[in-house]
Amino acid sequence: MKRQKRFEELEKRPVHEDGFVDEWPEEGFVAMDGPYDPKPSVKIENGEIVELDGKKKEDFDLIDSFIAKHAINLDTTEKVLAMDSQKIANMLCDPNVTRDKIIPITTGFTPAKAAEVISQLNFVEMMMATQKMRPRKTPATQGHVTNIRDNPVLIAADAADAALRGFPEQETTTAVARYAPLNAISIMVGAQTGRPGVLTQCSVEEAEELSLGMRGFTAYAETISVYGTEQVFTDGDDTPWSKGFLASCYASRGLKMRFTSGSGSEVMMGYAEKKSMLYLEARCIFITKGCGVQGLQNGAVSCIGIPGAVPSGIREVLGENLLCMAMDIECASGNDQAFSHSDIRRTERLLGQFLAGTDYISSGYSSVPNYDNTFAGSNMDATDYDDYYAMQRDLKVNGGLVPVKEADIIKARNKAAKALQAVFKSLDLPEITDEEIEAATYAFSSKDMPERNMVEDMKAAQDLMDRGVTGVDVIKGLYAGGFTDVAQAVLNLLQQRIAGDFLQTSAIFDKDWNVISAVNNTNDYNGPGTGYHIDDKLWERITDVPMAINPADV
Amino acid sequence: MTEINDLISKIVNNVQEEQANSSSSTNTATASPQSAPTSGKTMTQADYPFFQKHPDLVNAPTGKNVKDVTLEAAINGDVKPEDLRISPATLKAQGQIAASAGRSSIQSNFDRAAELTKIPDERVLEMYGSLRPYRSSKQELIDMAEELETKYGAKICGAFVREAADEYEKRKKLKGDN
Repeated sequence: MKRQKRFEELEKRPVHEDGFVDEWPEEGFVAMDGPYDPKPSVKIENGEIVELDGKKKEDFDLIDSFIAKHAINLDTTEKVLAMDSQKIANMLCDPNVTRDKIIPITTGFTPAKAAEVISQLNFVEMMMATQKMRPRKTPATQGHVTNIRDNPVLIAADAADAALRGFPEQETTTAVARYAPLNAISIMVGAQTGRPGVLTQCSVEEAEELSLGMRGFTAYAETISVYGTEQVFTDGDDTPWSKGFLASCYASRGLKMRFTSGSGSEVMMGYAEKKSMLYLEARCIFITKGCGVQGLQNGAVSCIGIPGAVPSGIREVLGENLLCMAMDIECASGNDQAFSHSDIRRTERLLGQFLAGTDYISSGYSSVPNYDNTFAGSNMDATDYDDYYAMQRDLKVNGGLVPVKEADIIKARNKAAKALQAVFKSLDLPEITDEEIEAATYAFSSKDMPERNMVEDMKAAQDLMDRGVTGVDVIKGLYAGGFTDVAQAVLNLLQQRIAGDFLQTSAIFDKDWNVISAVNNTNDYNGPGTGYHIDDKLWERITDVPMAINPADV
Repeated sequence: MTEINDLISKIVNNVQEEQANSSSSTNTATASPQSAPTSGKTMTQADYPFFQKHPDLVNAPTGKNVKDVTLEAAINGDVKPEDLRISPATLKAQGQIAASAGRSSIQSNFDRAAELTKIPDERVLEMYGSLRPYRSSKQELIDMAEELETKYGAKICGAFVREAADEYEKRKKLKGDN
């Protein structure tokens, strides 16, 4: 065929590098409303669910059993299932129906009923519902702080940088697993230097992650994965009961935690059981509810390529975020994995959560250049900050970030690197040189950092664990180095574990350690003029983007 | 760019001529404070934040009050890692607060957690490991439930592990089933 020249040009566009597939329900490649999805049903006998979504008790798998026992309100479920799904969907997006009227209904859902209700909504209706159902009235976002060389000095400087830009939660992980304790300490010290009150975590293997938290190196955890089919759950080396127990372990040590799930994971791991992504994700949300976990990171997360490839997939992703929040669970709503080669499509990916506002719009936004993102890159990275600021300013939306002054960033990065130098010295870890501090202060990426002896660092990390070093030792090191304010901030963070206020749904802290959660900052949206509003002080900051011309200067 | 500069200059001049006065309205996003209740009663949403409303009740399991966890004490070695832990009483209180805010499943989790506070870190990590698929025989899980119940008084967690043992047997997730 002789090629038409416009078609040839279009094929050169970045969107052609993305993956797209037609629906293939037998392998789980269907976003929602799958032809093999069960119809909602529930039957209760002697105070026990004996039929769930068309399945009899004797045929329950582990997930059905767990949900039937722990995740459904027996007093209301029969009544809720008798309600028209379209009517419930209408209530979800109707501004006149407040959140507190919806929760008693959603908590009586079964997974199939939940999926059926969400499937009634178009994308804009989902955004309307999200705006209202987000548990915390004030939206926020989470940041990734990593680098491919696990350079601790750079992690500390980058964490301080991210804290100044407004991330109330920051997540690191490792390029090399043995670095975990160093990365955890570096992000904590850096974040508390930038802005006291920031919560930090280090994503590693489940048991090790808890152990870092127990020592006082991290404040929360979120990579506690749950899955929608029994086979994949087992392949993930857990069961709903082991994950429920783990959730209680975290709470017993005063640590915040949320689960992680996301559509596409079952397809990726090969056992979707012919079910749609939304139905399987609904099961994950119910497991989270049944475990009594306050929050969930969902929205396809690291499997975004799968829903992103099928028709209506990005709508499904917002739908699963919405379902999480509608079930009264904190939602860290994805937007955390490189998704498209097309800048237009990655903006599209962000818009639903960004405009409606979720507890954490991204989980997280790469606060470093994607080159250094050891979570395999995020949808937005450090080079997108000014675009993000412009979007907030153009649309008057609080996307969770604020513009910053270059001089303030330089100061904070430098102080964080020096504070970590003091901690390393006091803990007898490999020296951080003044040259490294200078480099980290002004760095764009880890390419700007001098080489460290990684073998020595890893040995020291192991030794630090063997010696039983804890958060209190970090405080002592900061104090000895003259960083009294940072020492105080780390102490305040550890104090919060005794009080447990940040174990409640959607909790974050402001710079004065005031907790802001769904308990004291309840979303009361009820139409225009209600719910969350950007206050004047924040609006002034959002509008103050570096590239704006100040009329006074003209 | 010069066009924009010109436009802005014009607007600025207009604005100055009009001497517009700005009115400011502020929005704050915090709940109104409630009166502090006495200890011993069931906590509600009004008792939150617990730290702010009931600092006298925020004690570590060692008995140390949070107000005594000062920087000075930490530097002098008077703050042990055990002094930085949440107590069962605080978890119960936070569970009541969660339930009063309509989240009874969170209360169930905190009730289990309150029981687990008594178990040493290493043992609790091992117990989690034993609950993972294909790790334990049914008897080993039942033994663990007994340990939870008799050694640590963890009745709710014990029942949770027994329930898991039954389910693992049915769905072949016990040691040797893989």
